[in-house]
Amino acid sequence: MTLFGCAREKEVAELLKLGQWPHACPAELRAHAGACRVCGELVLVSGAFQRARTEAGAVARLEAPGPLWWRAQLRRRNAAIERIRKPILGAEIFALTITLLVAAGFLASQAGKDHGWLSWFEELPKALHFEALWPSVPTSFESNLWLVVPVLAILALLSGVVVYFAAEKQ
Amino acid sequence: MSWESVLPNMLAGDAKAVACPPMESEEFAGFYERSARALWAYLARVSTDPALADDLMQESYVRFLGANRPAEGEVAARRYLFRIGTNLLRDHWRRPRQASIEEIPEEFFQAPDESGHSDSRAVLGPAMMLMRPRDRQLLWLAYAEGYSHREIAEITGLASASIRLLLFRARHKIARLLREQDVNDRRQP
Repeated sequence: MTLFGCAREKEVAELLKLGQWPHACPAELRAHAGACRVCGELVLVSGAFQRARTEAGAVARLEAPGPLWWRAQLRRRNAAIERIRKPILGAEIFALTITLLVAAGFLASQAGKDHGWLSWFEELPKALHFEALWPSVPTSFESNLWLVVPVLAILALLSGVVVYFAAEKQ
Repeated sequence: MSWESVLPNMLAGDAKAVACPPMESEEFAGFYERSARALWAYLARVSTDPALADDLMQESYVRFLGANRPAEGEVAARRYLFRIGTNLLRDHWRRPRQASIEEIPEEFFQAPDESGHSDSRAVLGPAMMLMRPRDRQLLWLAYAEGYSHREIAEITGLASASIRLLLFRARHKIARLLREQDVNDRRQP
């Protein structure tokens, strides 16, 4: 017998694993297990655990596998959606921030001027040749505003989308 | 039909991490049939609480299906399932008190044995309740499930080199408890 075992322990363990203990093993090994503390403990503990495993398995109340499978599918799907949602939310926040910054910058730059920016707005459709695309485009500032602000918002949104795809690629 | 076919390539970014495609419903049913009783027995005997074992077993399978299971076959999948169960047990034990599992006194884990009707439970149950949770895990995995030291290390997260010594000590202790119990049973009429 060594410090943590016996030289014949493996032999006994193998027979226990194969279910050949005690009837299909040499009488000499049985006698050894009776005298050796390590092998005796192995036989005692293995037997108790094997019986306990058989009996515990028999009393197990098992749920049907179907609901478990669907629960797992649902959890996987939710996790994937959550993963996708995170960068989209980031892009949306970025686009909104850019829009607000552009608007704030523009207003700040034009604040000191005496309503000069109003005439800039009036000139914008002509400068971008919108009349070629949309001949009936209105000419007054009040009517142009509905066109200019969405254009700026779309530009900001596109920049956000570009940043989103760049981040995804990384 | 799984949800991946409805939202294709949703997990394309995880392609490298996927070890094996997710189990289909029929494949899972077969695997469940072959492994559930063994897992329940492990969780019930180590936790000494059958109701807790029911909950942890369900959660183990749901997590197993949601994770990237190993591609080495059913034996590895089963080992992976036991690893999930072991981690859930550890999480459960850690939850009531913010302390290491090693620091929690053994009395804390001693749940009342409500279903000690069978012979083996009557024999093993009291002795198991006097063991540390980690020792119960090691003993069950080694002597009930027949896992090797390397496999036990993989399941429990302990160092492979320390399993032999820990198991030797745990076996010695439970053998002593079983013998004492046997002597006490013989004394009683």
